[in-house]
Amino acid sequence: MESLARDCHKLSKHQAASTQKAVAAVDSAIRELEAARAAAAADNMAGLQQARRQVERAQRTVGEQLKELYTNVAKYSKHVDKAFKLDLGYVAESRAFEDKREELAQSILQHFLREGDFETARVFAQEARLALPAEMQRQFEDMYAMVAAIRGPEHELGPALEWAVARRAELEAAGIALEFALHRLRFLQLVEGGQTIEALRYAREWFPRFGRAATQGGEAAAQLEEIERLMGVVIYARRLEASPYAGQFAAQRWEDGARAFASAFCRLLGLAAESPLSVTIDAGARALPVVCKVAGLLRDKRTEWSQQNELPAEVPLPDTMRFHSVFACPVSKEQASPDNPPMMMPCGHVICKASLEKLARGIRPGASASGRFKCPYCPGMSGLPDAKRVHF
Amino acid sequence: MEKINVEHMLAIEEPFMKAPVEQLKRAVRQSQKQAEREAAQVSAALDGMAGSSSSSELGPEEMDKALGGLIDRLKTLKRKLEEAQHEEAQLIQRSKQRATDLSELDRFESAAQPEFQRWCRARLDRVLVDYMLRNGNVETAQRLAANSKLEHFADTSLFALVMATERELREEHSCRGALQWCAENRSALTKVESPLEFELRMQEFIEMVRSGKTLAAIVYAKRHLTSWSDTQLPRIERAMMLLAFSSTTQCPPYKAMFDEARWAALASDFRAVIFQLFHLPPQPLLHLLLQTGLSALKTPACVSGDPAERNRDCPACQPETLGRLAQGLPLSHHVHSNLVCRITGERMNEDNPPMRLPNGHVYSLAALTDMAAELGGQVKCPHTAQVFALAEAKKMFIL
Repeated sequence: MESLARDCHKLSKHQAASTQKAVAAVDSAIRELEAARAAAAADNMAGLQQARRQVERAQRTVGEQLKELYTNVAKYSKHVDKAFKLDLGYVAESRAFEDKREELAQSILQHFLREGDFETARVFAQEARLALPAEMQRQFEDMYAMVAAIRGPEHELGPALEWAVARRAELEAAGIALEFALHRLRFLQLVEGGQTIEALRYAREWFPRFGRAATQGGEAAAQLEEIERLMGVVIYARRLEASPYAGQFAAQRWEDGARAFASAFCRLLGLAAESPLSVTIDAGARALPVVCKVAGLLRDKRTEWSQQNELPAEVPLPDTMRFHSVFACPVSKEQASPDNPPMMMPCGHVICKASLEKLARGIRPGASASGRFKCPYCPGMSGLPDAKRVHF
Repeated sequence: MEKINVEHMLAIEEPFMKAPVEQLKRAVRQSQKQAEREAAQVSAALDGMAGSSSSSELGPEEMDKALGGLIDRLKTLKRKLEEAQHEEAQLIQRSKQRATDLSELDRFESAAQPEFQRWCRARLDRVLVDYMLRNGNVETAQRLAANSKLEHFADTSLFALVMATERELREEHSCRGALQWCAENRSALTKVESPLEFELRMQEFIEMVRSGKTLAAIVYAKRHLTSWSDTQLPRIERAMMLLAFSSTTQCPPYKAMFDEARWAALASDFRAVIFQLFHLPPQPLLHLLLQTGLSALKTPACVSGDPAERNRDCPACQPETLGRLAQGLPLSHHVHSNLVCRITGERMNEDNPPMRLPNGHVYSLAALTDMAAELGGQVKCPHTAQVFALAEAKKMFIL
């Protein structure tokens, strides 16, 4: 791509020079013609021949220059062709969304709202004649107002904290430690601003309930440790940069806080933490080369890739795009299903039921009267009744 | 750390790089032809004048007028050259900006980098701009492009031409713009063997027959249809048959030719051909990426209909929107297991092994340890609410 950018740079210089030469040639032809016209008015026809030669020369120059320009453009076009090796045409044939324009438009509209781009959402809803989901818009407007306050120059935590305290029960039920994270930010903000007394008052007001919860251990215990660390910060109140706690004050903490808040907000609304449209497009860009290849092979059979039950090849996706457990039997390579569920042998290895039954049938008569067989992956012995169903 | 496969990642950007080059080629070709024609004509006119230069044939006034006319023509040629230069420069500049934006991809080392995430957001925005322009949602496209500083990714004038010509065909039932475009791009159309121009001529002929202008229709057919007789003779003959029918005929092939639906078909033919010439895929890029993406994400759990199987973060599980789009698309294919803990949403592997509770349900060790710490060494299955001791959970090995 970088070399294409360089090509463009060269091309633009060339284009300017070519046109300049062509224009200059036309210009001098115009001058000659004007001179000839003036001479002709005085009944002198000699200029006409010279003008004629000049016009012919201009004709030649313009032709040559533009031809050369075209050659250069064509060369650049070849470079562009070479930069792309996959044939998108294979995928592009699919008409899978033909009757789903409404759903697609709705997906885009909701994406604009959840990205906080309310004006674009409004314009799009108007142009596409969609109803703006008013309730959702109001919720995201609330959210973005609070996010903007955290991100803003004053790093105002008040509105977000108020929201978190009001929804304490829901947040705790969902296992989201947002309230503590926000109190922590507020406390550090007070210390940083030199309001040590105020910070201590704040700690006394809000931290004890997290300390009490700590008797049960787990996450709360980690919070108690964090509170101890936070109180330690107070000793260094006026020389934070040189303290062991300097890392607590990285500028990144506001962005992290804003994201944690937005993610918790969406969780409580029952919405995905990331924009689903954005996740899908990222997955799609990763899947495209695989689908291109597959669709190219399918074309010979005159079927479309989108008409298949299953993609014939695996698409490598990062962990953040894995939302469901998928079990593929290491023996048969088949995906588990309700009819062929995964089964765990006593040794802890898991294979699917069909493979397990095949192993059990494979026992030579008399070789093992107990009906037991060896796990394909370790020396452990197993029998059919010992294998237990697992639910992922 | 996930490496980025640059070549694969760029696959979807192909139309963004190819469309401006095609436009550029056409612009240069057109200005070249025009300039050559114009210069040749001026030259020929001068030849004629110089040949009869004894001024006996042309009076001084006529001579002055003729020369003035030629000067004006050359001035127009100069202006045209400069205009073309401006248009071409814009196209080159746009290509360069696009290539520069896309080349940033070479500099990222891992997909986890925040810069790469930003690059991906810009990709989504340019794909959305493409979708909006194709749909005729021009204002949305402009806002989006301006907000994300992506104006150079919007082929606004190309899509404006498409929309205007389509509207003319569909609503005004006029072939004027489409025929003019065909005339400007005749050699390219011949190269891809597109019968678009023939179909447009045919439509004009049909309209003349419909309004009873029989004689005019015959003249028109002689002038515009006969040049297609090499490839389209049977259809021309059938068209001539229309002269014998009224536009209300029920006879199948002729009824279809009088059908108003032909206008809509012409509009989509026009779009298909112009996209083909500019290397734009027939479907919006957004469709391509959504289809491949949803398919790669879709698992049997997404379509099981069991709300407990649904993951709210999963795009293919969004009930009203993307989930509906995923219906009918292929499921993803897996030859390796991928286990996701239902409590934490984290991947289960050797570092965070899956643990089977006595009731058969599996959760990650990290999730169960956290829970046991809170519940005094006990764990509660979120699925069945049964309570077990942490020690009862058995470590599993997944290959």
